[in-house]
Amino acid sequence: MINAKNLYFKYEDDFVLKNISLEIKEGSFTAIIGANGSGKTTLAKHFNALLMPTKGDVLVDGISTKKDEFNARKNVGFVFQNFEDQLVYSIVEEEIAFGLENLELKNEDINKSVDEILTKLNIKHLAKRNVSTLSLGQKQLVALAGVLAMKPKCIVFDEPTTNLDEKNKKNIMNIIKGLNQKDKITMIVITNLLDDLKYTDDVIVIKNGGVIFNDKKLKLRNKTLKEAVLYD
Amino acid sequence: MIERFTFGQYRSKNSVIHSLDPRIKIIYVVILGILSFTIKSKFEIIVFSLFMLCIVLASKMDLNELIKNLRPFYFIFIFLFIMYLIFSRSQIILGLKYIWRFLMLIIISNLLTYTTTIQNLIAAIEKLSNPLKIFKIKPRNIAIMISVAVRFIPVMFVNFEKTREAMLSRLANFRKIKHIRLLVTLLLEKMFRSASNLSDAMYSRMYNENVESRKIMKLKSCDYLSILVVVLLVLLIY
Repeated sequence: MINAKNLYFKYEDDFVLKNISLEIKEGSFTAIIGANGSGKTTLAKHFNALLMPTKGDVLVDGISTKKDEFNARKNVGFVFQNFEDQLVYSIVEEEIAFGLENLELKNEDINKSVDEILTKLNIKHLAKRNVSTLSLGQKQLVALAGVLAMKPKCIVFDEPTTNLDEKNKKNIMNIIKGLNQKDKITMIVITNLLDDLKYTDDVIVIKNGGVIFNDKKLKLRNKTLKEAVLYD
Repeated sequence: MIERFTFGQYRSKNSVIHSLDPRIKIIYVVILGILSFTIKSKFEIIVFSLFMLCIVLASKMDLNELIKNLRPFYFIFIFLFIMYLIFSRSQIILGLKYIWRFLMLIIISNLLTYTTTIQNLIAAIEKLSNPLKIFKIKPRNIAIMISVAVRFIPVMFVNFEKTREAMLSRLANFRKIKHIRLLVTLLLEKMFRSASNLSDAMYSRMYNENVESRKIMKLKSCDYLSILVVVLLVLLIY
């Protein structure tokens, strides 16, 4: 699904990402974990073609993001850490339709998709609400709905549980897990919380802009993890 | 703080003015605005004021609420009046006329936002901006700009309140210019960061400036009738 090949990314004078090579398989549920400032979000933004490699390449479904941004953005959705800033329109149903409008779909198809997503995420009652009146958990579901409506093959969540209470944390992680298992959507969760790992199958550990672990969660040693997250 | 700011907010009511096409309403705002600033005689002022009163009543706007909403502007009116009283006492009537004109402008714009949802307003602006395509200006960009501005006004108020409280908790004194400047700088920084995040989010959802509004707008019989009324008003005044 996503391949990074010898990826380097330079910000101002420093390399934020250094020689990253990895593969994210279709249908997998992967966590990218690392301390603050380790380069997790920078890496994830390459999957959605929001950032382009300084050196190396990122392939989405075998196509380089440098050659086809549209392919990357169509196939890889992104739910941002500050999902409050992700919402473009004031009314929930219009917000969800934003991406579909950009795909130039017919009006009937847009309305149908919006309705489907609202039902799927159990937020139909919010359809006519103003986003500024929603709770943080509800806003996050609306941000997810806006991405999900575009039917991406993969969704990247940038620190989805930060700032949420325990109930909302569990709710969002269960929804992500459900979408991965039932709808076979490849899920990538960027996190610095060890707790989030219990939902995922694969783990990529990032330290100082490089990958120090990339395999099944079961093979991950506590020492590696704690070293990356706590002592970066 | 946001709850206190009720001026210009939409109220869902079953009135003739609410049911008018939003494009027509925007055009009326422009026409009535120009009219209010060009009329001179007492007769014209009385006719226009009566017309505005009829529109306010037809929109089912609560007069008490309107008067309450005008409260923040009273200071400007009083200031204008005092300025004329001090510097140009001979032209005090002219000063009163200017105050009346400002009052009319405020009521006209308030009527538009009172009777039209933001979504309809944006769609109407987008439709009305279509001729700008010949200058290579994309109506969708204009609509998105307005939409984002509207969407972020409450966010800005929340950010303002949070930053102000955080500063107050550390004994900031907003009588000091330095602290006001700091508050404004922090607020601007947050807004720029939000704008940067939003632009990333829009690109990630494949923002396409060539898309046209999904809202279908067609003139109805009440719209044609309203055109007749406004034309009659213009003829009566001129």
